Amino acid sequence: MIAELLETSIIISVLAATVRIATPILLAALGEMIAERSGVYNMGLEGTMLMSAFTAYIGAYYTGSLWLGVVIAMITGGLMSLIFAFMVITLKVEQIVTGLALNLLGSGLSIFWLRAAFANAGQTPTIPFFDTVPLPLLSDIPFLGPILFDQKLLTYLAFLMVPAAWYFLFRTRYGLELRCVGENPKALDIKGLNVAARQYAAVVFGGLMAGLGGAFLTVGSAARFVPEMTNGRGWLAIVIVIAGMWRPVPVLLATIAFSFLDALQLQIQGIGVAIPYQLLLAMPYICAILALAIRRSHSGAPAMLGIPYWRK
Amino acid sequence: MTLEKLGYRIEPRAETSGPARAVAVSGALAASLVLCGLLFLAVGVSPVTAFQSLVQGAFGTWRAATETLVKATPLIFTGLATAVAFRARLWNIGVEGQVFAGAMFAYWCQSAIAGTSPWIQLPVIVLGAMVGGGLYAGVAGLLKTRFRVDEVISTVMLNYIIVYMLSLLLLKGPWSEAGGFFEQTAKVDAGAILPILFDKTRLHLGFLLALIAAALVYLMIKRSPVGYEIRAAGSNLRALEVQGTNSRRVVLMVMFISGALAGLAGMSEVYGVHYRLKAGALTSYGYTGIIVAILGLLNPWGVVIAAILFGALVNGATFMQIKTGVPSALIYAIEAILLLFYLAGWAASSFKLKRIKP
Repeated sequence: MIAELLETSIIISVLAATVRIATPILLAALGEMIAERSGVYNMGLEGTMLMSAFTAYIGAYYTGSLWLGVVIAMITGGLMSLIFAFMVITLKVEQIVTGLALNLLGSGLSIFWLRAAFANAGQTPTIPFFDTVPLPLLSDIPFLGPILFDQKLLTYLAFLMVPAAWYFLFRTRYGLELRCVGENPKALDIKGLNVAARQYAAVVFGGLMAGLGGAFLTVGSAARFVPEMTNGRGWLAIVIVIAGMWRPVPVLLATIAFSFLDALQLQIQGIGVAIPYQLLLAMPYICAILALAIRRSHSGAPAMLGIPYWRK
Repeated sequence: MTLEKLGYRIEPRAETSGPARAVAVSGALAASLVLCGLLFLAVGVSPVTAFQSLVQGAFGTWRAATETLVKATPLIFTGLATAVAFRARLWNIGVEGQVFAGAMFAYWCQSAIAGTSPWIQLPVIVLGAMVGGGLYAGVAGLLKTRFRVDEVISTVMLNYIIVYMLSLLLLKGPWSEAGGFFEQTAKVDAGAILPILFDKTRLHLGFLLALIAAALVYLMIKRSPVGYEIRAAGSNLRALEVQGTNSRRVVLMVMFISGALAGLAGMSEVYGVHYRLKAGALTSYGYTGIIVAILGLLNPWGVVIAAILFGALVNGATFMQIKTGVPSALIYAIEAILLLFYLAGWAASSFKLKRIKP
């Protein structure tokens, strides 16, 4: 088995799959990281991604355009996070409970709509999905080329968002203000800057990213919608933000680590090794717990994370 | 921002008046009903017909009404499980997985003594379910107290893990039905089946146990020192520590009790309704239990009422699907909408609009 897994072609295929699998999680995690930097803990990521995956599918199916599906998914993600933002920023409802409500909404609404739209929910029609776009010259690089530069446009976008998020957070005034909202909103308020508006913007941005991530699941890879198809990816994105200490590059590394487990699992199943596949499927979740247990301290967490800001 | 330009500001009330809260909450419930009506219209069904068939399916006949209670039974257990944890401000989102763990441990214990008298088997499945669910929740408690892992995250991860564990045991595993095609165990021993309460219905002993559990949880929270600690943990864990109480012990204890209640839901579904262990018999009760607990105001009797309401929804929806063609999955959307509007209404009633100087 080890010898088989060490063949170059297999290594390339596992690593290329890692990059592909990382896409939706990375998009959602980067969005969540920005939202959490503003002090808001969006626990509704799973439902937001699921609903967006669904609307991307429905949108692409009825309009015949994959990109329109992506746009519709982003709008869905934005709207769901807007509901979340209104509940927790304006009404100051407990963030965890609101997030759960959003997850249940995504799960319930997507299944209901699927059943309502297609009489035979077991056999929903497939749609086309995005092709890979090999980058000229770069994709010819041996080894790295097929792994990194023969991917889909949304994958390139996801990875480009890492330096973009870093630049935004640490090199722009808006980024500085956003970090300040999560650490010391009062200071910002006293300066006459609007705390709630910045939190709204961050949460909605997180929703748009989760929407993009959800879209990738259907129009980017699966070509159809299956109930509960996010299967914990939204939650893993939240774990990744914690494990990545709310910083773009560690978040990227954590995403790669989890995606690698998943890719390896697919490959091992493909080879037909006698490890129960359920054990392999459970690995990302087991590792998530271990990762959090080993790290112990929550270094890097915004001081006001999860605590609503009351303007006195 | 815009509101302040108009000369108003939203401020928290010092204390919310009862009527304001009632108006806000019933307004929210009405709004969610309207939204559901719109969903019915969206799929081309008259809301009146749909709601009628929903109510008829839930309470129309004696048989339908008892079936509603059958559906409510696991929700009472999971609602209580959530309520106990949330009261202590422990966000146990893992009730879903603890239902699995309880059912699995009960099954493991019971299958070892299959064939013995019901007087032995029934206590064993009840205790087994409580221990299994309690221990699985205890893992999250231990992760929190020893390794400072947030229980929200750990319990969710544990939910996903246990589903694969059950699949591992069922699909070609030690528990799979001999020669069976589905991922399920063989039928359980007749001596372990929860007795039916009324002839010609499916209402089983589990419902009675759920009511007893509600009463015990009520007594525990209101009257016992444990309840005091739970309530104190909910308001301020650190103050409890200063007082000399070991807060780690409180966290572990609350998680165990919560998980034990969740486990009973799994046991009652396996031994009261399906008579075999399979994933389909156990899913979604944990998550629905969270809504039940919140709508029930984290109060044990409130939980019972909310669970019966939700049992009615689930039961009525099956009938509604047959009569009107509206997918019964609508219920899960309705539940979530109900929860969102309820939370919003509740929160809104703790604010007031105050005129500020322009």
